[in-house]
Amino acid sequence: MSRVRRDKKSPKKVWALLFVLVSLFCLILFAARGRFQAPVASQTVSLILSPFQQAVSWFGSELNYITSNIWEIVTVHEQNKMLKNEVNQLRQQNLQASDFAAENARLRELLGYKQAATQFDLVAARVIGRESATWSSMVVINKGLGDGLDKDMAVVTEKGLVGRVVEAGPNSSKVQLILDPRSSVGTLVQRAESRVTGIVVGDMDNPTMPDMVNIPKTADVQEGDLIITSGYGGVFPKGLPVGLVTELKNDDGGLLKIAVLEPAVDFQKLEDVAVIVASREAPPEPLKPPVQTPGTETDPATGEPKNQEGQGKAP
Amino acid sequence: MRKIGKWAAFAAALFVLQTSILPLIAYHGVSADLLLLLTVSVAFLRGAEQGAFMGFSLGLMQDLATGTFFGVNTLARTIIGFLFGQFSDRVFKEQFFLPVLASVAVTILNYFILSLLMVLLGYRFNLESHMQQILVPMLLYQLAFSYPVHYLAYRLDKRLEEKK
Repeated sequence: MSRVRRDKKSPKKVWALLFVLVSLFCLILFAARGRFQAPVASQTVSLILSPFQQAVSWFGSELNYITSNIWEIVTVHEQNKMLKNEVNQLRQQNLQASDFAAENARLRELLGYKQAATQFDLVAARVIGRESATWSSMVVINKGLGDGLDKDMAVVTEKGLVGRVVEAGPNSSKVQLILDPRSSVGTLVQRAESRVTGIVVGDMDNPTMPDMVNIPKTADVQEGDLIITSGYGGVFPKGLPVGLVTELKNDDGGLLKIAVLEPAVDFQKLEDVAVIVASREAPPEPLKPPVQTPGTETDPATGEPKNQEGQGKAP
Repeated sequence: MRKIGKWAAFAAALFVLQTSILPLIAYHGVSADLLLLLTVSVAFLRGAEQGAFMGFSLGLMQDLATGTFFGVNTLARTIIGFLFGQFSDRVFKEQFFLPVLASVAVTILNYFILSLLMVLLGYRFNLESHMQQILVPMLLYQLAFSYPVHYLAYRLDKRLEEKK
């Protein structure tokens, strides 16, 4: 059993420690108000650590891939049943959607309405580091300035908005998730009758579900509404899915209400993301008939003639 | 100098493990804080002065590398390293219960220091529900990892002392 010697603390050392603590406290206050930053030190630390993080996270993701594959093999029968049901539902939706799309194109042409779709230039990246979501929600990705990334670029997945780049280093970048209490995203309700705007902010009480705040109490927001980015503020392009409203509650002030969101992106399984490095307007793509499975009820050979007619008129 | 290098390599390895592997087993985004456990182990093994220095260095590295609220981990860990270092001459360092009990105490203390800082920064939250969401799962993770981290720190310290 070993014991170590007692520290002899001179008053000088205690004063030095107190000085360090007070200085740190001041630094925290200045940094929180954006008056202090240490970009060089931060980038240096990231530069040193990110290669190791990349290697270890690669190993982790491979391990995860193997275990999830094993699990999938075990549950393949049940999954197959569920997927068959889903395919049937989606086929019906697909037929309806192609009808609506064709009608939409006809009406646009009739009205002379022109709207260009937005096209994004994306850089794919992998999450290589993530801190415990205790007070803030940040991830580190394996792309940086060298790959064309810069501060304030939006980060997405195919499901929706992830967050924004807050610091781009030479070979890695830090991304602030929409779950972070410092994050704020201009959003609106996608439903055509509503279009209510609000701000989505991270909630410290529930780090997995952000809140949409600044909603007037009488505004038309319902549970199940899809919330998308509004494009206000210039950081996030318009139309990116943010989440679904799962609960509505009153703000403490009494004049506003808060919508609790279930994020569109599953942040617990965030592995691959894409960074929007540029966005530009592009002409809308011509409509294509949906791919049909031969020999099924949606096969053009056996399908309803009405649907074929609708698709035939698509430009 | 070589001694500092070995401690730095050990800390960096724990940090990489904490940020790259532990998120895979996280519960609602919450996982273990290995650097906090290392701060306490070093404080017990080396005393208050080196404990505070280690806490400062590890906290600064974490603040710079993760992009969290700058300085909060540095401040909390410096205080923790100094406070737990006060007990360094009164504890048996190779005991199993020391790191396990210390991990509970240090996680709770760290949580309340950071809570206080968040309140001072103007963030409001319901302490009770936040503790249920964050502190309880974190305590369980800390309990699981406390002994392995302390054991590795103890072995490294012993080896470096023998070489000396």
